[in-house]
Amino acid sequence: MSQKTILYVEDNEFNRKIIRQLLAQTSYRLREAHDGESGVRAAQDELPDLILMDVQLPKMSGLEATQRLRADPRTAAVPIIIITSYAMDGDAQKANDAGATAYLAKPYSPRHLLAKIREIVPEA
Amino acid sequence: MSWVAQVRAPVQRKLLVAFLLITLLFIAMGAFSLFTIREMSRQSELLDRAHQRLERAQEIHHSLAMQMHLTAMALLVRDEAAVASVLRENNRFNEALAQLEAAVEDPERVVIQKVRAGQEEAMVIVADIANLVRDGKIAAATQLHASREDPLYRSIDARVAEMVQRENAGMVSLRDGLRAAQQRSLVVMASFAAISVLLALGGGFVISWALIRPVYAAHGLLNELAGGRFGGTVTVPNRDELGELAARLSATSRELARLDAEQRCAAQELGALNAKLEQASKAKSEFLANMSHELRTPLNAILGFTEMLSDGLYGPVPPQYKEPLADIQTNGRHLLRLINDVLDLSKIEAGRMELAMEEYSAQEVVGMVRASLRSLAEEKGLDFKVEVDPGLPEVLRGDAKRIMQCLLNLAGNALKFTKRGGVTIRAARDGDCVRYSVSDTGIGIPTDQLAEVFAEFRQVDATVTREFGGTGLGLSITKKFVEMHGGRIWVESRLNEGSAFHFTIPLRSEIASTV
Repeated sequence: MSQKTILYVEDNEFNRKIIRQLLAQTSYRLREAHDGESGVRAAQDELPDLILMDVQLPKMSGLEATQRLRADPRTAAVPIIIITSYAMDGDAQKANDAGATAYLAKPYSPRHLLAKIREIVPEA
Repeated sequence: MSWVAQVRAPVQRKLLVAFLLITLLFIAMGAFSLFTIREMSRQSELLDRAHQRLERAQEIHHSLAMQMHLTAMALLVRDEAAVASVLRENNRFNEALAQLEAAVEDPERVVIQKVRAGQEEAMVIVADIANLVRDGKIAAATQLHASREDPLYRSIDARVAEMVQRENAGMVSLRDGLRAAQQRSLVVMASFAAISVLLALGGGFVISWALIRPVYAAHGLLNELAGGRFGGTVTVPNRDELGELAARLSATSRELARLDAEQRCAAQELGALNAKLEQASKAKSEFLANMSHELRTPLNAILGFTEMLSDGLYGPVPPQYKEPLADIQTNGRHLLRLINDVLDLSKIEAGRMELAMEEYSAQEVVGMVRASLRSLAEEKGLDFKVEVDPGLPEVLRGDAKRIMQCLLNLAGNALKFTKRGGVTIRAARDGDCVRYSVSDTGIGIPTDQLAEVFAEFRQVDATVTREFGGTGLGLSITKKFVEMHGGRIWVESRLNEGSAFHFTIPLRSEIASTV
């Protein structure tokens, strides 16, 4: 089995760093995008095995980006985990409506996130 | 017709005057009738008397004829006794003449006296004739009768006949006069009655119109007012109570219009203000939502790095670092809870918190609360029980997530404030509600502070907050969620013995509205 690629769409440098360091211990290959638009482009350029999508992003929201990817036949089947702020009522519903595979509220535990990733896309 | 209305007098006086006028009219008519009747009876009395006079005159006429006849008879039969009959007839004549004289006016009396003088002369002649007849001088007697008596009688007779004719004529004219007077009074009475009826009708019409017109006008204005059209006025010529009433009504209408305009203006202002407030509230909520996101993002990084550090992702953790790392995590989580509670509370207060009503099971909710807090209870060595009344319906209605949040707050507090003993969560039926109770054997709350426990940022005192942690917002949020369900919350406590918090959720709970 070849190495699995994960695309992380997040504008905050520290959050990206957490995931980068978390996945450095694993066999997953990480690609990063800093806003919704470039996230969608990156997924279309090279099909990832999993996308981690933040909700509040510059240029295009994570929900809209998810909808775009679901609408594109090439990326329609890629699993997407939406990461959002807690407390916003109906976020889970919105993530579900946009076509997310799973939903995770911030602040998440890196341990839990890794478990979730492994559950959806087992390491090579 | 408005002049009646314009008269400055009370309605009662106007009506009295009208009725008095009509009454006076009828009294006048009665008086006139009495007068007419009296006049009639006087006239018919006159007629009666004229009739009697005529009878007397006719009697005299007859008596005179008899005298002439008897004198002629006496001459024919040459009997003195027959002449005596003439004298008897003379008496009757005189009697009737005297009666007639008493009944007539002066001019007629002169005629009667002439008749009487003639009669007396005739009687002297009759006496002479009687003497001549007794002496057997028939020729002389006949001569006397023919030359003196007969012409005399004829002249008297002519006078009497004339008198009879005059009386007859008088009577006829009297009768005609009476008939004419009757006719006349009939006409006068009829006209009088007709005029009275017309006057009464006219007066009644004028007065009633003067009363009814303002009533109609007022009715019209009241209809307008009832229809919500204010500001109209009634103008009536009346200067009585009705005029005053109309003026008051107009003033009321104007006042209503003014109040209406004022109220509309105020409503508009309030509407504008409300819109502004709504906008402000929305802006506040949006600010808080953004703020909480902005706060949560670095907090996420802090908690994430700390966890990875603790997990040894960056290499083995020296033992002396373990405690400070745990402290960072504890305080980070506490800060997160604070942020979440503040956000919840501000959303509730902005009316933007909505309950997601669904069917749920009390057993499940209470079980999940126990599962989340069991480790905490075990750590403190406390007894932690849940009891669900078997009489409680299996399926309840409410926002299970929020009810669970309430129970987590209450049970979390209870575990926090209890050092020995235990905490019990109960769910049981309470009338039309399900009652959740969380009781502990903790430090309790002083009686004078029981009322304040549900206020924001109120813990019994600041030292308690330091010792036991907590945001101070949990009870306040719990109270609001309960009230949003249409339930109520209360607390019973004894210092150093323990506390029991209870809240109810209606069984058929629909969203009660935002608090």
